[in-house]
Amino acid sequence: MVISPFILLLISVGVGYLSSNSSSNSEPEIAVISHTPAVTATKVTKTTDAFTSKSMSEATAKRKLHDNDLDGYVVISQQKSGRLTAKYTGNKKMSAATQTGLIAFLQKSQQAQNIMDSKVTARQLTTLSRQPSITQHVNNQGKSDNETYKVVAFYLLVVMAYFILLTYSTITAQEIAQDKGTKIIEIIFSSTTAQKYFFGKLLGIMGVICTQIAIYVVGGYLSFNIAKVGGDFKELINDNSHLIHMVIGNLINVNLLFVFLGVVIYTILSAFSGALVAKAEDANKAATPAIYICLAAFLLSFSFIDNPTSVVTQILSFVPFMSSFFMPIRVIDGSVSGAGIGLSLIILIVTIGAMAYYISSIYEGLMLQSDNSSFWNRFKRGLKYGNK
Amino acid sequence: MLSVNNVSKQFDQVKALSNVNFSINDGTILGLIGQNGAGKTTLFHSTLNFISHDGEILWNGEPITEKSFDEVGYLPEERSLLPKMTIEQQVTYLAALKGMPAKMVSQKLPGWMKKFEVKGKPTDKIKDLSKGNQQKVQLICTLIHDPKFIILDEPFSGLDPVNASLLKAAILEAKANGATIIFSSHDMNNVEEICDELVMLKDGHVVLHGPVNQVRNQYPRTKLIISPTIPISDVATIPGVIDAKQFSDHYQLTLSSEEVGKVVFKRVSNGEYIETFSQQAPSLDEIFRMKVGEIDE
Repeated sequence: MVISPFILLLISVGVGYLSSNSSSNSEPEIAVISHTPAVTATKVTKTTDAFTSKSMSEATAKRKLHDNDLDGYVVISQQKSGRLTAKYTGNKKMSAATQTGLIAFLQKSQQAQNIMDSKVTARQLTTLSRQPSITQHVNNQGKSDNETYKVVAFYLLVVMAYFILLTYSTITAQEIAQDKGTKIIEIIFSSTTAQKYFFGKLLGIMGVICTQIAIYVVGGYLSFNIAKVGGDFKELINDNSHLIHMVIGNLINVNLLFVFLGVVIYTILSAFSGALVAKAEDANKAATPAIYICLAAFLLSFSFIDNPTSVVTQILSFVPFMSSFFMPIRVIDGSVSGAGIGLSLIILIVTIGAMAYYISSIYEGLMLQSDNSSFWNRFKRGLKYGNK
Repeated sequence: MLSVNNVSKQFDQVKALSNVNFSINDGTILGLIGQNGAGKTTLFHSTLNFISHDGEILWNGEPITEKSFDEVGYLPEERSLLPKMTIEQQVTYLAALKGMPAKMVSQKLPGWMKKFEVKGKPTDKIKDLSKGNQQKVQLICTLIHDPKFIILDEPFSGLDPVNASLLKAAILEAKANGATIIFSSHDMNNVEEICDELVMLKDGHVVLHGPVNQVRNQYPRTKLIISPTIPISDVATIPGVIDAKQFSDHYQLTLSSEEVGKVVFKRVSNGEYIETFSQQAPSLDEIFRMKVGEIDE
């Protein structure tokens, strides 16, 4: 599970490599035959990769086309009027990109030919070549880059949070539901207290999460440095180094704390819901409450990514279970003060503390009651069962 | 020593335990008997302090808390093991909770598996074991740390006679090592065979308590087993014979009083040799059924 992102990365790199190799070897191509010295075949073949650099006669091209050694061939000639013509013959249609490249090249050649035929003076040529000028002045230079890094940082953060929450909420709830459903919990509670069991489970799962995040950070750092040194990604990384640093900067800051605390609060909720199942067979259902809330927060946050200053985003950035998704939107946007971030963190930490304290105090009753009734009845029964 | 003093527990409208009182000395085996819902498991849960209750339950003068958890071995009513673990992992996990080092578990586990005749290796997964072997593994988990106080909730349930004998031997061995043992059972033969004392619960009340023989001797010897020498109709009509049942090789009579036995003896022997004439107190099973109201006392 932990190494799955690296496996995915390796697979995608492998697929990309194979794909690029296969596309570069995708013979046959299009041959160019020119009957005019004004437009040589060699010049045309340099316009796009779709043309073969091999020169050949029209008869050879026709034969190769028949033998499927060529996709097609273009015959370029010049009429008496000086007009350039290109005639394509092929087994399949010429791609739009190839056609655009060919037209652009022929237009340029035709224009040069027209100027020569017109015998215009240098001054006239300058006049004819006059072009309109468009200049742009953008305030806040680099804003588009900022917009990009915000979006990238947000998506990375939220998707990472969502998958970690989803994975570990499910694991927590299922493990606890299994302990309860198999009744092994009775043996455990004859050996340790419910509070120790509860906090032990939480700490254990937190330990696994931290290990997973650490592996991703180290793995990501190593992959980044390897990619920077060489390989297909070197150019991409160098071209976008500013963007990459901005994104990383927005991941490794207070947002990571919001994600971590989100994991804690969702794990507590999962531990609680896992304690409310009646049978081991229901272990899979145990994570449902946490998954639904997590999914709602995840989807809602996507709706408000472009609206970080809306009232909804502002309110939800202070609501526990939601703030781990919504406060990072505002932090990345830079539209929240330090006091706002602090207040949201305090609310989240206090809620986590209160939930952990209350749930641990009723945990023995919740885990030991085994009514096969509704959620609320099981909850009420659990409260009475362990009421000491 | 375990002391249960005036223990009561109420669940909503149900009184699960009502003023339960008894005590068990060290090195004693106590059988807790009662119908389903009589309050046996609630009493165990109260003893282990899983649930709140009125009154007090003291082990060596103190309630069972974290401090004394390591001295306790508990086998719950439902068989509860984690199916994906191996035998060794499962036993090590539960023994670690009792403070037993993994190394010691590795040393002792093969011996315990041999003692309980568990078929398989320590590396076998729980889910691959038969139900009987799973139950034996759970018993090993309960006993491997040599607890001083052992609570077994229906330990014989699901065991065949051979495996039940193995368990009885293990319980008696624990007793010989000074452990105090309390177990619940529906099988009165097991209780009669190995228990020093018994407590019978009915609707949360203690209806019988004491040494097994003493409990039986509280009852008059009104059960009579005789070999048939005359037709059963002749025996059934003797004044004082309440009930007469014919079995393949004997009759079983229920008498109104012990004295009726002498009258029956005269009639059936008629001064001649008689193969079987056994007048005895009711069995524990009959006492149990009397107490729970299945048959008249």
